[in-house]
Amino acid sequence: MPALLTASASDYSQSMVVASQPAKSEEAAWIRRAQRQDMRAFEALYRLHIDRVYGLCLRMTGNVAEAEDCAQEAFIQAWNKLDKFRGDSAFSTWLHRIAVNAVLGRMRSSKREQDRIKAASELSSAPSAINDTGSLRDLAEAVDRLPEGARHVFVLSGIYGYSHEEASDMLGIAVGTSKAQLHRARRLLSQQLKKDGYDPEERR
Amino acid sequence: MTDRNEFDDAVFAEARGLATEIAPERDLWPGIEAAISEPVQARPRFMPYLAQAAAVLLLVGGSSGLTWLVMQGDGEDIVNGAPVASLTEFDAEFASFGSGFEDARDTQVVELDFALDRLSPEARADVEENLAIIRTAIDEINTALESEPDNVLLQEMLIDTYRKELDVMREVGGLTKDVMSRQDI
Repeated sequence: MPALLTASASDYSQSMVVASQPAKSEEAAWIRRAQRQDMRAFEALYRLHIDRVYGLCLRMTGNVAEAEDCAQEAFIQAWNKLDKFRGDSAFSTWLHRIAVNAVLGRMRSSKREQDRIKAASELSSAPSAINDTGSLRDLAEAVDRLPEGARHVFVLSGIYGYSHEEASDMLGIAVGTSKAQLHRARRLLSQQLKKDGYDPEERR
Repeated sequence: MTDRNEFDDAVFAEARGLATEIAPERDLWPGIEAAISEPVQARPRFMPYLAQAAAVLLLVGGSSGLTWLVMQGDGEDIVNGAPVASLTEFDAEFASFGSGFEDARDTQVVELDFALDRLSPEARADVEENLAIIRTAIDEINTALESEPDNVLLQEMLIDTYRKELDVMREVGGLTKDVMSRQDI
């Protein structure tokens, strides 16, 4: 049985540990409470979504520190904009949109920042691959090495399963550009992985 | 060609197997909680700008009006009022916020009281309104500086606002001295 709505505020964190996947109605209740400035309810939402939000940030930035900053920024922005969430889309999609904005905002903030992120990501060996095993690790590392535009589209469409319409909307680009970037990403990935002797059949 | 497409498709299909949920290495909640628990920090930072802008606007209009009021009230005797003393010694002392600043400012405040007594009620109200706005700005800047003591912009703004306060006090003192001296002749 997932966490009960009747739980006291201090029970939220504990209940989240017990409830790996709460019912939609419970999430909706947390959202409503958070919209009324209930910080413990918002913490419950954070614990429910952080792995997915952080995963997205890490895949997009390829850098642990940047991903942490972007994920934090995304949740802070989400708290500030909670009153604007009307439930037209899933809360996770709404959060992802904010997270993508946080990543893009951070990367666009200055050229120097971008250079720093790039240098950091080159130094580390694909931190986003740590959760992947076997041949998937090679694939994750190849994704990390994709050019920024192609990587962003590939992460949203190829890994997180967003449509071109959704991905292009999140990234603020045309649908055609999203399709072109995905095509480019697939081509670059194939070239890189073939060179590395990657065999997708190996996993089957 | 077909092989390449198959390979691409296979890679793309595998990408769906990449982890979408990755736990951060540390709990990010404490940082988020601290950020959203803080009272809005922007207010003390921006209020001085607003107060100062208002002060500057009123100062321009108020000073002109003040001059006009003083000249209207007692100006018949002033053929060609002497220019307000430059008092550059004050600038040097106050701008540096040296040890004598407080004493010098207190002296100006006392002199201002005498000067205000010589003004018409309208002119006096005008001066007091301007000074109140400027002093509100000074208080707000000082409040903001408590949380950001190293903020150079705030420091410069504080000096500038103190200088504006002195300008008003000196202008009032200078004008009333002119009036008095001409009347005394």
